[in-house]
Amino acid sequence: MPAVRIAKLFIAGSILGLIAVSAQGCARVKPYEREYLARPSMSANEDPGRARFAHHARGSREGAAGGTGKAGGGCGCN
Amino acid sequence: MQLTAPAAVALAIAGALTFLPRATRADGDVTVRGAYYKERSTRVIQPMADWRMTAGQSGEVTGHVLVDSITSASVSAGAAGEPFSEKRYELGAGYAQAIGRFLAGGSARYSTEPDYQSIFATLRGQAELFRKNTVVTVAVARGHDNITNAGAQGGLGGGVTIDGQLDTTLGSVGVTQILSPELVGGLTYDLIYLDGFQENPYRRVAAGGEFHPERVPDTRLRHAIAGSLRGFIPATDTTLFAAYRLYHDDWGITAHTPEAGVIQEIKPGIEIAGRYRYYFQTDADFYKPIYDTADPLMEPYITEDDKLSALTTHTVEVEVSALLSALGIEGDLGQVRVDASAGYLFQSSHYGNAVIGQFAIEVPFEAGL
Repeated sequence: MPAVRIAKLFIAGSILGLIAVSAQGCARVKPYEREYLARPSMSANEDPGRARFAHHARGSREGAAGGTGKAGGGCGCN
Repeated sequence: MQLTAPAAVALAIAGALTFLPRATRADGDVTVRGAYYKERSTRVIQPMADWRMTAGQSGEVTGHVLVDSITSASVSAGAAGEPFSEKRYELGAGYAQAIGRFLAGGSARYSTEPDYQSIFATLRGQAELFRKNTVVTVAVARGHDNITNAGAQGGLGGGVTIDGQLDTTLGSVGVTQILSPELVGGLTYDLIYLDGFQENPYRRVAAGGEFHPERVPDTRLRHAIAGSLRGFIPATDTTLFAAYRLYHDDWGITAHTPEAGVIQEIKPGIEIAGRYRYYFQTDADFYKPIYDTADPLMEPYITEDDKLSALTTHTVEVEVSALLSALGIEGDLGQVRVDASAGYLFQSSHYGNAVIGQFAIEVPFEAGL
């Protein structure tokens, strides 16, 4: 796989993300309106140990990976 | 000295509880977790500890250690149909520094087991935009794995030494967007490129009346895009979330993963959560239930890996989380949070259905660097 193709795909993905930012950026919620958003249940960040084990279990039983910003693998459970 | 998984869990819990006498405010925390996975022919017990602490005014240090204890008779887990036990040890550490609206950090992890060593490094940057209504995250990561069957138990290597190396490169971009005072959305795109040995060195494929080592392509390009929505209902203190991931790779696998859940606050400090996840994938272009021949000219790639077949998985899970102070426990011990979850997987693959259980204790402590 040529590195150039990988770079192009990554750049294309980044541009898509930036477009999403531009489209949504005008929706403003002020700091004093974020009481509910500050609750732990509203965070998409899972406990790291819990998330790691879930990725580990799924990585050894499913053909797909990714979508979390983290790479899976790294074990002989292939 | 071999440390059994239950002993490791007990040791880790005891270690975490030693922080209690100094636990007055959360400059950091230690979470000790025990995870259990069981299906028809495979059992995994994984004790682990994660810690996090502040460093200076705007830095954070993180780390983790885990033991992965697997007992299996599954070929896909590394044995040719014979029961075996194996332990994997993993260490990880990271650092992140906030600089105004930006956050930059790096992390690394190392994993070792008798037939597999892996090292992985990640660099991550994050920017808060539009008065913190939008957060953009970019990450790049690189990993290197060494694989061999030379250390196989009981001759599972089949008398033939197979080894290889695998390089993994990840590029990721993500956006989190506040949509209203009760609603937040996220979008992540990951591009993962694997180059090197991607077979299971133990797996044998029946083809043309004989068994042959598995053959799959040396490279794999994986795309995954995932979106999520999370909303809060103030009247009932209920959080709802939904997510969807679309995956495709150049081996021909396309996967859809919708997920949804609810988190209900019972009283301040106590929550119960329920989740459902559906997973479906198509098979790889070269996957066949039966190969008539192993001739590389006719069949360049041969595999019996269930992960490369069309399959479906349903996962249901329930989780309860409680701060001990919400249960009436006073003092430092009241700042400790306990978490327990149980799940069931309905798998269409030959692995059969599975159960998952986890139990965790989170202990805050005062020890900022």
